[in-house]
Amino acid sequence: MLAVVAFPHLAVLLMALGLAVPVAALLPAPVAAQQEPEFFDQPYAPGEWNIGRRMDEAQLRYCVDHRDPDWEVAAAIADAVAQGLLLEPRRYVVESDFVLEDITKIYQIMLEHCDMHMGFKLIPEGYSDWITVTRAYYEAEYAFVTADPDIHALADLAPSRPIGATMGTSAHIRLVSYLTALPVAKRWPTYPYGSSDLALQSLLNGTVDVAVVWAPSLWAKQREDPAYANLHVIDSNPLPPTTMGVGALMLGDETFLRNAVGEAITALIEDGTIQSILEEYEFPATVKP
Amino acid sequence: MKSSSKLTAILAVAASLTSLAGVQASVAQENPIDKLTPVTNEMLLNPPDSDWLMWRRTYDGWGYSPLDQINKTNVKDLKLVWAWGMSPGGRTQETPLVHDGIMFLQNSTTLIQALDAATGDLIWEYKYDLPEGVNPGGERSKAIFGDKLIIATRDAQLIALEAKTGKLVWKNSVANSKFGFSFSSGPIVANGVVVQGTTGCGGGQPGGCFYTGHDVDTGKELWRVHTIARGDTPEGKSWNGVPVESRYGGSAWITGAYDPEQNLIFAGVGQPYPWNMEIAGLLPKSSDPNVTNDALYTNSTLAIDPNTGELKWYHQYLPTDSLDLDYVYERMLIDLPVNGEVRKTVVTTGKLGIIEALDRTTGEWLWAKETVPQNVVASIDQKTGAKTINQDTIPKIGETTFNCPADPGGRAWQATAYSPRTKALYLPTVEFCSNTTVQPLDPGEIYTGGGRQTYARVPTPDSDGNIGQVRAVNLDDQSDMWMYRQHPPVTSSTLPTGGGLVFVGSLDRKFMAFDDETGEKLWESGKLSNSLESFPITYSVGGKQYVAITANWASGLGRLQSLTPEIKLPKDNPATLYVFALPD
Repeated sequence: MLAVVAFPHLAVLLMALGLAVPVAALLPAPVAAQQEPEFFDQPYAPGEWNIGRRMDEAQLRYCVDHRDPDWEVAAAIADAVAQGLLLEPRRYVVESDFVLEDITKIYQIMLEHCDMHMGFKLIPEGYSDWITVTRAYYEAEYAFVTADPDIHALADLAPSRPIGATMGTSAHIRLVSYLTALPVAKRWPTYPYGSSDLALQSLLNGTVDVAVVWAPSLWAKQREDPAYANLHVIDSNPLPPTTMGVGALMLGDETFLRNAVGEAITALIEDGTIQSILEEYEFPATVKP
Repeated sequence: MKSSSKLTAILAVAASLTSLAGVQASVAQENPIDKLTPVTNEMLLNPPDSDWLMWRRTYDGWGYSPLDQINKTNVKDLKLVWAWGMSPGGRTQETPLVHDGIMFLQNSTTLIQALDAATGDLIWEYKYDLPEGVNPGGERSKAIFGDKLIIATRDAQLIALEAKTGKLVWKNSVANSKFGFSFSSGPIVANGVVVQGTTGCGGGQPGGCFYTGHDVDTGKELWRVHTIARGDTPEGKSWNGVPVESRYGGSAWITGAYDPEQNLIFAGVGQPYPWNMEIAGLLPKSSDPNVTNDALYTNSTLAIDPNTGELKWYHQYLPTDSLDLDYVYERMLIDLPVNGEVRKTVVTTGKLGIIEALDRTTGEWLWAKETVPQNVVASIDQKTGAKTINQDTIPKIGETTFNCPADPGGRAWQATAYSPRTKALYLPTVEFCSNTTVQPLDPGEIYTGGGRQTYARVPTPDSDGNIGQVRAVNLDDQSDMWMYRQHPPVTSSTLPTGGGLVFVGSLDRKFMAFDDETGEKLWESGKLSNSLESFPITYSVGGKQYVAITANWASGLGRLQSLTPEIKLPKDNPATLYVFALPD
């Protein structure tokens, strides 16, 4: 696998890492990001004052969530990042069956289990100060999906036919913005769904004719359930594709580790490691240097 | 001698043991829980002055106590008599209940405790363990009826405890918390039925929330009223053609009031979700003439028969709400003069700070009175109450809009209160605005954030720097009586009393008492352990009046901390119950 010689400038960083991690562990807990504790931005972990500092600085502790469609792919990428940093990867798989969570829930998971949590989209100004995101390790699209073999592009859909969209995503917002500019008679009715799963279900049960979902979610559904096999991705025309970078989340004060991981991801992209992982899983994503 | 002294010693020991037993018997006899009587329907209809038996003390939701031992003259002597450290972790907006000298307290960890309300001594406690993944959090209220204390939990369970012992009597799962359903306020018992509202109806589960009615003896669900209208009715067709499985919101997160004369519960419903109407599918408006985009029953009062669950009528205050401006808060049942005749009204105030009165027998809209600065409602039809919305304030994709108040509201969940002494409504209010931007908030596939809009909170354009107020409005003629202004947000509910006082707390950890007629501040506590964002109560034991309030940063108007960075609160967010009284 990847060796540290693949990106020698990391050697200096790695030397510093051994010092920086224990020092960081002694800093006040990131709740100190109390500058502007707004409603949805205020992290909270039950008993957080009882959570001690980590003992083993030779490990890169990472979290993946089995509810995320890409969690196995993300775990493989995290393993490669750890090895690139000459750290022992320590995986924690979040095993929860709650359908959705507020992002502040991640705070407790990170305090207890991981230095980085895989699987977060890079959204400009989309994160509070108490968290930060690494550079993207892959990019994926929101997919326009249909079960109708005669529809090859969104433009083929008759104006009266409904679209289901995963609610509040960048692709949904782009679609709604486009529709608002159209004459009433040319608009597609658009229904919001709380998750990509619900949007895909609405496609199967005929409530909508096209669903706008995160492409990795469709990929995961089609792997696990043959009922979704006949769904196919169509061209987003007349809309441009909506592509999002995906990286790992860290607590806001982990700036040094974030830089180190970022450099590791860059090196893993440059030497083809991440591309190989994506190909191994036939995962619908690309890498961007 | 020896045997005699031995005998003396034995007798002495025996005497002291007897005496000890006597003391123990005496202690046992004095345990106040022994005197706890069942709470009858009659008591709930007309509570003893000494008790605080439900969230707002009486079915009419006034939040008023007739106790007058602590009054305008002597309140300056008010002193802390006991305090109780509550469980750390989570946030609490606690309303303790008091009956027969026993205080019932719910900690955010669902640790339920019975305390001697005069001394603060613990009598019993019961811990309900929340399932893994459900963060602790307090409930604003609970209910007591018969020999049972009825508790709502964060994982959408109702449990009943034996009030004398804390033993579990029954437990009923109302909804699956894995889909986001939760309780943040407790039930009200009306005509023998436990009525409970559900919250957390965001993206996890479509179809909205609900009120449920339960058998008080078993917890068995008797009926369910959905807060999002459905079916082939005008109400069901008020979601712009969006199917039920794409309708979200309508949380029922505040306990309602009860009118025994009509046997009706009056309860509120929150806003649709997500907040942005374009994303929710409610805008642009459908060209289908058979549908509207009012999004019923969001931001409405529902009048529900507690025995059958029949929805008798509803009134929607704010259709197509795109700014998270809940009309979910307390309902007050007050008979008021309107145009020369006394009308049986139900009064509520939404986040816009607009007080509104309906005829509670018909749902007819009667009047409105504005309080805090707001720019969302341009005008109100004086016959129907229909509001004309300032279109400039509606958030639009790709723009930043300006609206007052911001999302926490000119008033939040901290309840207003009504005093029959002064005919006044006492409102804890705040003044501030927001630069609002629609934003994608889908960082992960599971982890989402907010309602797809971000609110950058700013002062009102002509702010005098006083963000917090206590306002007194005479409800007989809707005239302003007085207003107290200060820089720190006023963050607790108001508590008017028969002693001519109005108690209220603020973000900067102070508990205060005002003259209910003039607004003069008559008393202020020292700084307490944390901000005051709960529901103060007053009660009496053995003829002595007490005033109690919980201190804890509970995120409500505390969200305005961004406008008051100089107010520092303890990092680990302690929760403490404080009880004040006059010196003996």
